[in-house]
Amino acid sequence: MTKPANPFEQLAYNVSLQIQDGMIVYVGTGLPMVGAILAKMTHAPNITLVYESGGQDPWEGPMPWSVGGAATYRRAPMSLEMPHSFAMAANGFVDIAFQGAAQIDMYGNLNTHFIGESYHNYKVRLTGSGGGNDLASLSEQMVLVGMQDPQKFPEKVDFLTSPGHLHGGNSRSEAGLPGQGPKSVVTQLGVMDFEPESKRMRIKGLNPGMTVEIAQSCTGFELLVPEHIEEIPVPSDDILRILREEVDPNAIFIEFPPRTK
Amino acid sequence: MTSKFKYNEEALENLRIEDPGILDRLIDHQSFRENNLKKNRAKVDKRITLEEAVAQYVDDGDIVADSGFSYVRTPLQAHYEIIRQNKQDLQYIGSPNTNHSFTVYTGNCKYTHNSYIGAEMRGTDRMFSKSVQQGKTKILSEWGHGSMGLGFKAAQYGEPFVASKQLLGSDMIKYNPYVREERDPWTGEPVALIAALHPDVVFIHCQQADMYGNGKIFGPAVNDIAMAFAARKVIITCEEVVPEMVMRFDTAHTYIPFMIVDAVVELPWGCLPGCCPGYYYWAREWWEWLMRIAMTSDEAMTDFVKNWIYGCKNQYDWIARLAEDFGGYQYIDNLRRMQKAEEYLIEDTGVDFSYKQVVPKWD
Repeated sequence: MTKPANPFEQLAYNVSLQIQDGMIVYVGTGLPMVGAILAKMTHAPNITLVYESGGQDPWEGPMPWSVGGAATYRRAPMSLEMPHSFAMAANGFVDIAFQGAAQIDMYGNLNTHFIGESYHNYKVRLTGSGGGNDLASLSEQMVLVGMQDPQKFPEKVDFLTSPGHLHGGNSRSEAGLPGQGPKSVVTQLGVMDFEPESKRMRIKGLNPGMTVEIAQSCTGFELLVPEHIEEIPVPSDDILRILREEVDPNAIFIEFPPRTK
Repeated sequence: MTSKFKYNEEALENLRIEDPGILDRLIDHQSFRENNLKKNRAKVDKRITLEEAVAQYVDDGDIVADSGFSYVRTPLQAHYEIIRQNKQDLQYIGSPNTNHSFTVYTGNCKYTHNSYIGAEMRGTDRMFSKSVQQGKTKILSEWGHGSMGLGFKAAQYGEPFVASKQLLGSDMIKYNPYVREERDPWTGEPVALIAALHPDVVFIHCQQADMYGNGKIFGPAVNDIAMAFAARKVIITCEEVVPEMVMRFDTAHTYIPFMIVDAVVELPWGCLPGCCPGYYYWAREWWEWLMRIAMTSDEAMTDFVKNWIYGCKNQYDWIARLAEDFGGYQYIDNLRRMQKAEEYLIEDTGVDFSYKQVVPKWD
């Protein structure tokens, strides 16, 4: 019998379901990349993966050690400069991009700068934007990925690094930003989306065993609850086999609990 | 010192920049052009050693940039030489700026233009976080990779600035003196104007270059073509110096023309502990050691820097230490094999990519 999916595997599977066949997908390292490659090996064989450092449509190989590493341009027919990669997003050639963050707020805005009271008085400084701001500003759709808890999902981010729906409503397009903004949020609980008018985060579907109460207790603001909540299926044995044997055979990203802090 | 230019004032206040004059050189196109007009244009043998290049071309107070992506095709050994020569009050810019970490820690990088600092899934840079908090280094501007890249592109194309859709609605625009929100004159929509960026000196690591400075880059070019054209002083470091005829018979991948180059440094293994496409893989165990052990305390970091930077004369010394600590010549050779296998330049089945993560006992 196949061992059931652990939370990371379920998450990678849920990420893969966000991708439709034929899309151009912008990925960083980590679980989003695992999910994207899984999608390519299952229901979406005709997607193209692109990377910020310039790699376009590489051959899948070993899980990369870095976004700039060989796996992101392995046998790629071409690799471009970094400003070209983001220009592709600005010009409407990136259908979906994935991003994680230290904080995600109720409108899908992201913080990767610092945790704390202010820019000069923080508990810890994080990595900064990287390509995050560019992708969030320019891609047609964003999918946010993270582990949901009340600290990581506060009502308001400590610093707004990458724009989601800003203050909700039409504020994103009024700010002059292109694209539809965040489409969904994939976490260990399931999948959240954004209510079309207010652009506030709401539950869309929950993983097996998860409830609205659990989801709410893992969130620092009030989650909207729709009339009908989808039940997210567990990945089939076939999909788990592909995930474990072909996508991430050394369990670099899907081992649970993770190997290191 | 008064500043020559009008900066985003909200950003100056938010970043607590009391002396905006320090911001000027990065966007001073006039001095960049005058500098270029004075450059020696002759096609001459420009080869010098790394030690000479740093001594001659990196001045105290310079804005320094480098090539590649974090620790991919970045001449990290050049940073180590800058630290050994103890250059002062440097400003660093680059996207990512992960490599600034070393000079920030050793106190040589006084100012930094921030886009991304960290080692991806290996974690955030605790030393950088602390150095900023203690005022050891000061952040002068906040960027995304794409917006900073556009600043270099504007400089490459000789534009005073570029209008973009990045940074709008973000808090970063309030922390970047070089960016202004304005209205697009045609559509009336908000746009972010990004000034053209001119570093003083850039180290571009090429896999191959000729003695005059024509340079070939394999793998993603990242921001390097733009930065080479944008900087006042251009140092090519390269894995191999090849005959000029290599450039003349195969123009593919040649992105850097000799006339903009000031010096050529043959620097094999110059990206270690990072990787160089086509040549060698990261020294992963070394990074684990740095991120998970050295960075946990000042004491450990001091030892680490003493051993790996001050204690080495050049990259050959460095490699000898690496071999000694991690498994001899076989370890070094395996770095070469793994890189080629991952790029599928050699058969990859049978090449072992596994490695032991260095996890300290107390972790």
